[in-house]
Parts: sequence; C-alpha cells; structure tokens
Amino acid sequence: MGVVRKQSKGLAVIRSILALLVVAWAVFLIYWGIVTSLKPPAETFTISGISVPVIQFRPTLENWKTELSTRESRFTLTNSIIVAVFATAVAMLLGVPAGYALARFQFRRMKNRDLTVWFLSQRVLPPVVVVIPFFLLMRALKLLDTQLALILLNATFTLPFAVVISRQAFQELPVELEEAAAVDGCSDFAAFVRIAFPLAAPTLVAVAAICVAFTWNEFLFALSLTSLKAKTFPVYLAGAEDTRGVQFWFMATRAMLALGPPTILALLIQRYIVRGLTFGAVKG
Amino acid sequence: MGLKSGRIKYPFILPSMIWVLAFTIFPLIYSFGLSFFRVRLGRPATFVGLNNFARIFSDYKLGNSLRVTLMYVAVTVSIQLALGILIALLFHQEMKGKSIFRALLILPIFCTPVAVGYLGLTIFYEEGGPLNSILMSLFGWKIPWLSSPFWAWVAVLLLDIWQWTPFCFLVILAGLQSLPEEIYDAAYIDSSSEWEIFRKITFPMVQPVVVIVLLLRLIESFKIFDVIYSLTGGGPGTATEVYSLYTYRTGLKFFDFGYASALGYVLLAMVMVVVNLFFRRVRQVYE
Repeated sequence: MGVVRKQSKGLAVIRSILALLVVAWAVFLIYWGIVTSLKPPAETFTISGISVPVIQFRPTLENWKTELSTRESRFTLTNSIIVAVFATAVAMLLGVPAGYALARFQFRRMKNRDLTVWFLSQRVLPPVVVVIPFFLLMRALKLLDTQLALILLNATFTLPFAVVISRQAFQELPVELEEAAAVDGCSDFAAFVRIAFPLAAPTLVAVAAICVAFTWNEFLFALSLTSLKAKTFPVYLAGAEDTRGVQFWFMATRAMLALGPPTILALLIQRYIVRGLTFGAVKG
Repeated sequence: MGLKSGRIKYPFILPSMIWVLAFTIFPLIYSFGLSFFRVRLGRPATFVGLNNFARIFSDYKLGNSLRVTLMYVAVTVSIQLALGILIALLFHQEMKGKSIFRALLILPIFCTPVAVGYLGLTIFYEEGGPLNSILMSLFGWKIPWLSSPFWAWVAVLLLDIWQWTPFCFLVILAGLQSLPEEIYDAAYIDSSSEWEIFRKITFPMVQPVVVIVLLLRLIESFKIFDVIYSLTGGGPGTATEVYSLYTYRTGLKFFDFGYASALGYVLLAMVMVVVNLFFRRVRQVYE
C-alpha cells in the first residue's frame, strides 16, 4: 500500500516506536495477568514495577495447579463450556437458515432489509431491561439456577450475529450454483445443505466462535439467574471470597482462565472479526 | 437475489422470528406491565398506576446514576473514537510486523469484562500495586485509585478505553484499507500537505465507517455493567454507580421489581433516542 509517498527515515522510526508503544499498552493488562499468575504468593509485593519473569523472579505454575484443582473452579468452568456450546448450537441452528432465507428469497410483507434490521435491533436492547422479567419468568417455570435458562437467553442474544453475518456470507456466494442444482432437480433444501452451506462454512465457523466468546463473557444474566448449580465461571470469579482481599495470585490466575478461551478464539478467527463485530456493516 | 420456488423461505425464517418474539417482545411486554405495579417477593402485586414513573423524578440516586452514565458514555466513546482514528492512521502503512501487531491489538476486545475488572483491582491496588509503585518510585506520590470518587471514575474509564479502543482502531483501519488508491495518486499531485489530504479526502471517505463504530460503541456503552461491578461495585459511595447497576440492585438485590421495570424502560427510551438518530444510515447498510 503506497498511501504515504514521501516518508523520511526519521519519520518511519518515530512511527515504529509509536506503534510499539500502542501494542505494549494493548497487551499490558494481559501481560500483567499472566506474570502475576506465575508469581509465588510470597513475592507478590516484593517485586516492583512491571515484574519481568525469570529476571525478577522465578515463575511457578503452583497457582494454576491450585486453582485448577479447586472443585468450584472446575465445576464453574464446565458450566461455562456447556452453556457456551449449547447456546451457540441453538443460535446457529436457528440463525443460519434465517440468514439463508434473507439472502436468497424475497419477502414481501416485510422487506428483507427491514427483517434484517429487526433481527439486529435486539442488540440494542440493554440486558438489564429484560433481566427482571426473565428472572420472574424463570422462577415461575422453575428454571432458576439451571443451565437451560442461560442457554435459552444467550442463544437469543447471540442470534443476531448468526442471522446477519450468515446472510451476508450467503449473499456473497454466486447464486448460479444453486440455480444449476435446481435445474437438475435438486430441492431448495438440498441446494442449501449440499452447496451453499459448505461454501459458507468458513464464515459460519467464525460466527460460531463469536457466539461462543460472547456467551462465555456474558455476566449479567448469569449473575441474576444462577446461584449454585448453574453458576458460570465469570460469576464465580466475581463472587469468590478470597478475591476481595489482596490475593493477587489467585485473582490473576482466575482472570486468565476466564479470558483465555475467548481471546484464543479471537486469534483464530482474526480475518472475520471486523465483519463479525460490525454485523457485516464493515468488511475487514 | 432469488431462487425461484422459495418454498423453504418461511420454514427457514419463522423459527428464529418466533424465538426472538418469545424471548424479547414477551419479556418487554411483561416488564411494561410490571412497571405499573408494586411487586415485591412474597407479597401480592398491587396496582399503583404511574407511581413508579413518578418516583423516577424524585429519586436522587437515579439522578446520580443517570449523570454518571451519561458522563461515562460521552467521555469514553469520544476518547475511544479519537484514539481509534489516530492509531488506525498510524498503522495504515507499510510497517514491519504489522500483522502481528494487529493480532495483538485484537486481544482486549475479547477479554471477559469481569476479568478485566478484577485485573484492574490488582493494577490499581493502592498499597504496592504496579501503577502506584511506579508512581512512587518516579515521583514520590501515589494516586488513591479506588478510594477517591474521582479517581475511581478514572480507573473505570481507563479500563474501558483499554478494552474498546482496539475495536475502534480495527474497524476504522479496515475502512481506511478499503479506500481506492487512485484517489491518492491524484491528490498527491495537487497537494502535498498530509493534513489537507486527511481532512479533504480520507476523513470524508471513511466517515460512514466512523459513524458505524460510533453507533455500536454508544449502544454497548449504555449497557456497561460488568467492569464496574467487579472493579468498584459502584463505589466509593455511588460515584461509579451506573444506570444498569442501579437498576440491577433495585430489582434483584432489593427485589423492587415494579420500580426496576420502570427504570429499565427509561434506559430503553434513552437508547432508542440514540439509535433513531442513526436509523436511516443503519437501514442503508443492509440494502
């Protein structure tokens, strides 16, 4: 990209330094989390500044071992995984066909564009507005403190991602392949399953990853609707007694356990993130 | 657009429409109803008409949370956007290791907000936390991060800016990279000032992208809850008690469901006003 033509050597160096500073700032919190989780508890406050491992202290995996052998962390991690996987499955199962219908067929009474915007409009709704009716509803249905309740709600609030982004993925596929299949006597459904779906698969995997990450990070519903059995990891993180003190080592280890999975997913689907998070409004 | 028969279009789209109706419209109607009642756990609901809404006007804690929220939204979104644009311009050229930098800059966006708040607790820890220990060794003073109302607010802002500036950067960079290069070829013949080219060409052309980023950040910022819950818990006092947190406490800590529902509707109304300012633009995008 030759956008800047005349760039002097000095300017290039300044730019590189600035870029490095920006990156250092962006990863600082994560770096701090990792480093603190590797510190022996006794040395938490004796090491000053940014605490470079190996140079300033000998890193240990003790905190991770302790944390992962705690019954409650294992249990809440499992809950988080179950809720994220099933909520994503429901969102994709409902959302991908809807996205396909919006991409390939004309709707008359409500135009395709308005339907798409209607699906999107849920993301506008602040969760705190609906958390009280959901609480009363789940209580009436005896679903408080169940994974099912969280799966239902998270599926609902990640559905717009599935619908809108898969719509765009299908729109970008050439329709001719499906038309040719139709001429050969292939039903619409078979054309979707055999032709469109596999071709759009890479984008759909990225959408699923975004749904998993959002469900994993979700906090308000999990906090309000669970107490013991269905508690997710973020709620455990927020509520654990010892995090209120100064036990930096456990806090950091737990924080890293919480943000590890979604950030790893983010790295895997990098190419799709701009499109995914802007609901296809900007192509990255 | 369009396959001919289209027999599958309704079976394909109706399930998700019904699902959305069931899980968003129904609770909204339900809570709209609740907002006219005095509802408390274990007691029968009594109809109170517009009392809950009338209470809003005399609720000083609500006034506070409203002020905190609007300040927060205005400050954080404008800083994120400004920094996002600057960083995007910085990265919009050839640079060694650019793809690795970009990948690293994505990370904050996906960090679990509650976990960010907890890491914040350690970063901003006043006695010997990393920030204060650096300040102490450099300048000999420290900042009362979480015990002073003002600095607690700054701490929340810093974390939020940390987490969401990369999002603004990433999307705006994508916008910049989609601009056609030919325009610049011509521009560089006519003018040599980079600032002029930015002001007259680059900015007007990425402006639609900036508007989308602005809208998305506005919507998400009104929802802020997690980071504040874990970093300050709304404190000290009520210095950082944002609207969502106040509503949550009213409803699910003090079980005043009716009033909390009314509060929820006020928040929804505010967000709707913001979104409606952008509505035509959003519709155009999905043409």
